[in-house]
Amino acid sequence: MLKPSFSDLLRSSFRSILKNKSRTILTSLGIIIGVTSVILLTSIGNGLKNYVTQQFDALGANSIFISPGKIFNDNGGFSQSSMTTAMTTSFTQKDFNLLNRKLKNTIIMPVNAAYADIKSSYAIKKTTEIDGSTEEYGKSNNVVPSDGNGHWFTNEENDKKTPVVVLGYKIAQTLFPKSTAIGKKVIIKGKTLKVIGVVDQKGASMGGPSVDDAVYAPFSVVSDLAGNDNINTFVVKAPNKDLIASTKKEITKVMLEKYDSDAFSVFDSSQLLSSINSIISVLTIALTGIAAISLVVGGVGIMNIMLVSVTERTREIGLRKAIGAYPRAILIQFLIEAVILSCFGGLVGVILGSLGTVAINSFFPAKITISSILLAFGVSSAVGIIFGVAPARKASKLSPIEALRYE
Amino acid sequence: MTKSSSKNNSNVILELKNITKTYATGTNCFTALDNVSLKIHQGEFVSITGPSGSGKSTLMHIVGLLDNPTSGEVLLNGKNISRLKEHQLAQIRNVTLGFVFQQFNLLAKTSSLENVLLPLLYSDVPKNVRHQMGIEMLIKVGLENKASNTPAQLSGGQQQRVAIARALINNPQIILADEPTGNLDSKSGAEVMKFFHQLNEKEGRTIIFVTHDMDLAKQANRTIIIKDGKILEEK
Repeated sequence: MLKPSFSDLLRSSFRSILKNKSRTILTSLGIIIGVTSVILLTSIGNGLKNYVTQQFDALGANSIFISPGKIFNDNGGFSQSSMTTAMTTSFTQKDFNLLNRKLKNTIIMPVNAAYADIKSSYAIKKTTEIDGSTEEYGKSNNVVPSDGNGHWFTNEENDKKTPVVVLGYKIAQTLFPKSTAIGKKVIIKGKTLKVIGVVDQKGASMGGPSVDDAVYAPFSVVSDLAGNDNINTFVVKAPNKDLIASTKKEITKVMLEKYDSDAFSVFDSSQLLSSINSIISVLTIALTGIAAISLVVGGVGIMNIMLVSVTERTREIGLRKAIGAYPRAILIQFLIEAVILSCFGGLVGVILGSLGTVAINSFFPAKITISSILLAFGVSSAVGIIFGVAPARKASKLSPIEALRYE
Repeated sequence: MTKSSSKNNSNVILELKNITKTYATGTNCFTALDNVSLKIHQGEFVSITGPSGSGKSTLMHIVGLLDNPTSGEVLLNGKNISRLKEHQLAQIRNVTLGFVFQQFNLLAKTSSLENVLLPLLYSDVPKNVRHQMGIEMLIKVGLENKASNTPAQLSGGQQQRVAIARALINNPQIILADEPTGNLDSKSGAEVMKFFHQLNEKEGRTIIFVTHDMDLAKQANRTIIIKDGKILEEK
């Protein structure tokens, strides 16, 4: 049986620590800072992943994208040469016709874009991206205005080049702050277009293009605005989730008839998502690793104070040994004190980290997880044990005579 | 009390056989105890005295199992304990011996009661009776109304009485006191000595104390005078 009992040791350790309250807080500060940073960084990483996942969910399931250039490298990460290729090349109407001819049971949506100022009678929005596509795009990308907010354009409007636009929620507010945008006119590159719908508010974005800031028009209308009928991307709707892989293979086969394998990419949202998530994970782990260095620094701080404490309490250790404390009882007592210091730091760190996450989440995606709390707390306890061993061993090995004589 | 010479061997509680203790100080070797043999009987009140550096403290430490002899044997209740492991010695110190120090060695910022209860942390005494035992010990030393006071709130004499209560809590066979009155004024010192006498006479406890003060040493029933690591004479 352990003598003293664990509860006695715990009480005795708490008492020793509470005798020096300010020292306890200062000693734990390193651990507090370390755990807080680890939790905040992992929360931001998790929040980003969640946010990206949500954004991809909004893109719609079963969607396959065909983009110019090689976007992914062989390891599933992003290819380094992709961006320049993707921005300088595009697909043509012939590609659209070819895909339409060869692919069965799929809906193929060409997407193009023009950049121009948008003017209303109230305001002007400088250099805005206007995305062009077809009737199916609205449903596929979950951007069809809800009842009462107008409607998405039809293929008939596309065919007839009817000058209509659908605005994102925020841009509609900017252009028409006082009344509803629906039915009003906007002027883009000297052409007048009628607002036929406003997409429901989708919520905060991280600075990238958001649906709330988007402007949509029929493909043919955007082609006129851009001055060419290039196609930037194809969005292909597979009949169901199970057919995504086979549809991708089919598309690749068709595209290889005309292009080199480096000239285009065929991917689905889950592939893109996992690539982005793996980048976020690597970044999170790297940043958390840097933050974890402060945990080690905190551990050294605890070791330092525990060594001071052993020296200060040399006579006490001598007395305890004289009245019957065996070496292991002394070792455990000092070890518990070190662990209490680091756990206290860990606990305060978890609280501060959680509060910090809530605060950050109001302007940046951040999400705390139980696993990050357990990890941070577990690491801080381990730091206490690792850095507490040396001082505790020193205390337990003191000779009772010399300890009692210590001045 | 009868003198040790009149006691028979069956009453021997502690025996030192040919104890030698040498310290190596650099290249020199210093002999603190030189072939000392000694028997302490149950219920004796023994003082160990001698000039500074005579080896009386070393002798006390070996008797108190705080230090190992270089050679020789220590027998406690007839059992050789010279070769026991540290945790076994700790248990004997906890149960069989009670220490009283010159510096009191009470834990600062800790109440008298908790100081008294300290040895029980390392004993088998059930938790539910510890508090009552501590109170009874404080009553015994007349400090029941100071149970919650910390050492800083007590006089020197009171602190030493708390230390005595701590030494007694495990009902030890032998009380060992190292200059117990050394840090006290004469009145408090006399009170402490009176208390030791009572413990010896009324409860029959074996008491061994070290002092450099010859007058104080004479108050014991048996005085061992030590000089240059050897027992000079016994009175």
